[in-house]
Amino acid sequence: MQTTLQSSTTFSRPESGFTVFWRAFRKSRTGLVGLIMLAIAIFVALFAPAIAPYENAAATSVGIADIYQPPSAAHILGTDDAGQDVFTNFIFGARVSLTVGFFAAFISIFIGGIFGLVAGFFGGRWETFLMRLTDVMLVIPDLPLTVVIVALTKPSLMNIIFVIGILGWTTTARVVRSQTLAVKSRKFVLRARAIGAGRLHILTRHVLPLVMPILVVQAVLAISLAILNESTLSFIGLGDPTAPSWGQMLNFAFGRGAMSVGAWWALVVPGFGIVWVVLSLTLLGQGLEQVLNPRLDTHHLMPGRPKVGTEAQAAHPARDIILDVRNISIHYINEGKPPARAVENVSLSLREGDLLGLVGESGCGKTTLMLSLLNLLPAAGQVVNGNVYYKGRDLTAMNEDEINNIRWSRISIIFQGAMNALNPVRTVGDQIAEAILKHNPAFPKNKVPERVAELLDLVGIASAHSDHFPHQYSGGMRQRAMIAMALACNPDVVIADEPTTALDVMIQAQILELLDELRKKLGLSVIFVTHDLGVVAELCDRVLVMYGGVTAEYAGVDTIYNEPKHPYTQELLKAFPDLTKPKKKLSSIPGYPPRLDDLPAGCRFAPRCPAVFDRCQMEEPGLHVLKNDHHVGCHLAEGSK
Amino acid sequence: MNRTRAVLRKTAWSFFTIVFVVVLNFFLFRVLPGDPARAGIRDPRLNKDAIEVIRVRFGLDKPIINCFDSLNPVKVGNCAVNPLETQFFIYAKNLIQGELGISYHANRPVVDILGERLWNTILLIGVGQILSIILGAAFGVFAAWKARTSLEYTAVGISLVAWSLPTFWLAILLLFWGSTMGLPVAGKATPGMSSLPLLQQWGDIAKHMLLPTLTYTIIYMGEYTLIMRSSLLDVLSEDYILSARAKGLNTVQILRDHALKNAMLPLVTVIAINLGFTVAGVIQIESVFSWPGLGSAIYEAVIRRDFPVLQGAFLLIAITVILANLLADLTYTYLDPRVTVD
Amino acid sequence: MKKPANAKFLETRGLKKYFDAGKRWIFSPNIKKVHAVDGVSLTLRRSEVLALVGESGCGKTTLGLMLMGLEEPTDGTIFFEGRDITHLADHERKDLRRKIQMVFQDPYESLNPTQTVKEIISEPLHVHNIGESQQERDERVIKALEDAGLKPADTYLTRFPHELSGGQRQRVVIAAALVLEPEIIVADEPVSMLDVSIRAEVINLLAELRISRQIAVIFITHDLGSVGFFADRVAVMYLGRIVEIGTMLDVLERPQHPYTKALLSVIPVPNPRLRHERIILKGETPNPVEIPPGCRFHPRCPVAFDACRLSDPPMTTVSKTHQAACLLMPK
Repeated sequence: MQTTLQSSTTFSRPESGFTVFWRAFRKSRTGLVGLIMLAIAIFVALFAPAIAPYENAAATSVGIADIYQPPSAAHILGTDDAGQDVFTNFIFGARVSLTVGFFAAFISIFIGGIFGLVAGFFGGRWETFLMRLTDVMLVIPDLPLTVVIVALTKPSLMNIIFVIGILGWTTTARVVRSQTLAVKSRKFVLRARAIGAGRLHILTRHVLPLVMPILVVQAVLAISLAILNESTLSFIGLGDPTAPSWGQMLNFAFGRGAMSVGAWWALVVPGFGIVWVVLSLTLLGQGLEQVLNPRLDTHHLMPGRPKVGTEAQAAHPARDIILDVRNISIHYINEGKPPARAVENVSLSLREGDLLGLVGESGCGKTTLMLSLLNLLPAAGQVVNGNVYYKGRDLTAMNEDEINNIRWSRISIIFQGAMNALNPVRTVGDQIAEAILKHNPAFPKNKVPERVAELLDLVGIASAHSDHFPHQYSGGMRQRAMIAMALACNPDVVIADEPTTALDVMIQAQILELLDELRKKLGLSVIFVTHDLGVVAELCDRVLVMYGGVTAEYAGVDTIYNEPKHPYTQELLKAFPDLTKPKKKLSSIPGYPPRLDDLPAGCRFAPRCPAVFDRCQMEEPGLHVLKNDHHVGCHLAEGSK
Repeated sequence: MNRTRAVLRKTAWSFFTIVFVVVLNFFLFRVLPGDPARAGIRDPRLNKDAIEVIRVRFGLDKPIINCFDSLNPVKVGNCAVNPLETQFFIYAKNLIQGELGISYHANRPVVDILGERLWNTILLIGVGQILSIILGAAFGVFAAWKARTSLEYTAVGISLVAWSLPTFWLAILLLFWGSTMGLPVAGKATPGMSSLPLLQQWGDIAKHMLLPTLTYTIIYMGEYTLIMRSSLLDVLSEDYILSARAKGLNTVQILRDHALKNAMLPLVTVIAINLGFTVAGVIQIESVFSWPGLGSAIYEAVIRRDFPVLQGAFLLIAITVILANLLADLTYTYLDPRVTVD
Repeated sequence: MKKPANAKFLETRGLKKYFDAGKRWIFSPNIKKVHAVDGVSLTLRRSEVLALVGESGCGKTTLGLMLMGLEEPTDGTIFFEGRDITHLADHERKDLRRKIQMVFQDPYESLNPTQTVKEIISEPLHVHNIGESQQERDERVIKALEDAGLKPADTYLTRFPHELSGGQRQRVVIAAALVLEPEIIVADEPVSMLDVSIRAEVINLLAELRISRQIAVIFITHDLGSVGFFADRVAVMYLGRIVEIGTMLDVLERPQHPYTKALLSVIPVPNPRLRHERIILKGETPNPVEIPPGCRFHPRCPVAFDACRLSDPPMTTVSKTHQAACLLMPK
């Protein structure tokens, strides 16, 4: 179901990891803002004596009239309860907050990082012990514990740093451990063991580089938490009296009547400092997070792009054509880049009761084409030309409500990877029942379980499994359940999108047999999408071979396999191991499929084609129709009838 | 079967954690130097009799722990004494009987002081949590649904700022604002209300709760919004959402029947993990608004160096958090059918 | 150094691997076992290609990992050039690692995303302290890349895995194995993640290496169809056991075991004119925790009879090169 847009054959100059990182980070506006804000705070803290108008903690003069003076030319942010300049204390407060933040975070990250790495990498008793300890420490509220410990010891800056640092390791330990475990279970670690690398080598060369980024994000968060914790401690009177921090400024102001005299400046200014630093770290953390775990920009509920080029075309004249796709073109729109031409000018027609094979390698646009039939394209996808007629009605012209009535009740889809296509927290029976009730609201409720059992029985699943969750099914059963769900509303057309990929050969054969049987029994028309030419040979009536978003060849099944005209089809067939001629060397197609956002100028297959000639490099071939409704997208087929 | 095991195991772990906290609470106050009673008995200015009085009054004349040869290779403690007469045993025994010692400041049993405050804190956390979860989840859902629109950016921006606010500072600002609006800004009830009908008393309490709850909600809502948004974004890009669309379900049906429950699961975990942090917020909110809860008890105990109260309040808070954590954990087990024992 | 080509090179005897099913729990004294590999004896000759075929869960990957010393066998022995290598400490195995290398199924997963191609391929040299100078190491890296079909090699050196296509990545994995000049490559489903048009070139590469470098290959796959043209011998596994083993022609043309016959019949044939009757087994491979009594294949066997439920058929010789384990075989 994934829509692979590129087959990643970029050729770029060598870059260091940092350059790659920086380029990704630069795109995150949140991260950049955070970085700049933090840089300003650090600058202020470093050069505090130069910036501050007065000496640190020096009272200008001690008279009652100097206390809580509103902002003036001499004191741009007023004075506090001791008659000191608020701006000066504010500037110097940055030093305390940042010192506590950085040092405490360093301790937390150091302890948590080591605990997490050791637990995750070495496992065994150490892991059990460390993780139990982490679990216990994680639920003990850490601020009250910090308060208790600081109250029981001397509230010096040193103590505060150590206590905050030592109590703050738990989250880091957890996160680092799970990342270490994830990295450790990856195949490249197994491969490193296979080449004979020792534990230390694996830890430093393979695990650490992949844990480090997470540690950096954790560190940023730990700094902000430490700063917040320090300010809270100071606010409740547990700050170091020799190092006046923002929290302490607030403590003094709040405790000594700033509120009653309305000295807002003494309260607002220090708080602003804390918010500035913490916000900068939060934004920075967000930015780093976005670089490390780039999230898809889109999701399945985002509104799709309206179709363009809606002019109706003549539908196929034949009456028994149930689904008729006319010259459809689909682009993926990337802001600031030329659109990726995922599907271009593809036509196909599905006869009632027929099974049409749609064959192509990953990234050839076959899944995109299938999704477009039911207006299910991702948000970036747009139908830029063509129409889809279902029994004469144009599906591409329908609005969401209209197409919702067609979806599943008339045309249903069996998705690839049923594990992901079934909701993990609802039972299989429930998900089948949902489809039934959605399209037949009048269906008697008490008959639903019966109908679900009947459907499951149809695909060879005992009805007792109806109450089970998808994860309790085996891979083959899940695919069967998916088929049962697709049949729930008696559709006319079933689209099977690589239903057997990732299944074992025997299970694959079972599913294919089931589909073929059901198609005959229920009179379904089926479009079978696959990357495997061998699979469809045994089932199909007609085959459409796609390459790089265009039709390579479209014909009856016998023609495709025995008289292929397109060099791609010919080569693909030769790449297939043929058991009737063992020991024959396989031929392979050199090169790789094109990237859809970087297509060659002429024929899309030209760079890999053994029969390529000059014209192929410049001119895209049209679709030539030969005898027996045989369509070939190749210059060589021109004129041959 | 598996689920029963998971519940049993989690309950057992919570129990173990409580035991750990109880032991930790005992030793912290005896090992660290700050307790004035213990500092007092080392004070050279006091005469012997006065020291003896203090020692007996606070039970400091007893050995801290007994020595168990097998368990105690470094030979801490006095092996000659009856284990039943150690400070630790007396502490544990008193704890089981519901005694937490006597406040230095008020000269009253700590239990009496904290008993009623516990409920005030639970009331504040309860209402604040429910509000922030509901509002946070709702904003999170809208932010995810309307991804890449100004609605999302606004929600995320506000949430990030809210997350970065120091709780006590926001409390102070709201206190400022509240006092200009004529809202009650301190305590739980207006003095002299207890004679009025119950409904009016509750109304008065609700008014007093307004600002503390508002502070609490703003502080924690931001985080819940961010988590709900990212969790829902993950769920909405799952394949089963596409298959729900292919099934012909409309947006509201998909959100309600396929996305929300799945997206709530990470939120429940975060709520559980967060409980420890929320207590930090409560201490600050209660201190600023003089809300008579455990948080302000901690604040006052710190200022007055009233260690029995501090010890008791810490213990109560820790146990409450552990139990609430267990509750959230069990909810998760109930919600997610995939949970089994490892 | 020349050794007879047909000498027993790698041999296993009664190799077993049981995993604990689930975590040990205080109240369950007898923990159930997953019988991943349950008594496998086979031999591999010098520069021979042996295909190990079976469905997922048959234990073929675990067997491969045991040969690599990446899983500790529960029972049985492994001999390499006559030496018992079943249980070796890491430092004892280090020299052996140079001789037996592995290629994994998913070429993206088996490359560290933070390493360049050069780092990936020179890593084994550093681990084994091979090469006198940096220059010598570089030459070896370039040679390995070119032998793996990545030419010109220097255009690949500074690239990261994500900049390569699936086929190129698999070639990098193979180059990283070749750089140690191994004598055996264990290839675990090396092409199943690749597109059809790319598969052939990776298989062709392995076939060439076997000839040019005299490397023996253990080719693990679920697809009997893909072994046809280059395996010398084929071993079919079911539920932790080898049920049939023989030369490629023995197995493909004269299959004896009903499971082999079924597997052969379901291989997709890319020609509609050759549509044929297929033997589709019912159900799925049983859970290897509870092995069926008697012949372990009998619950799914289309020709099972009463005796199959009771007795576990031993390996029976069909010909000098061909054995199978089925009660129905002619004695």
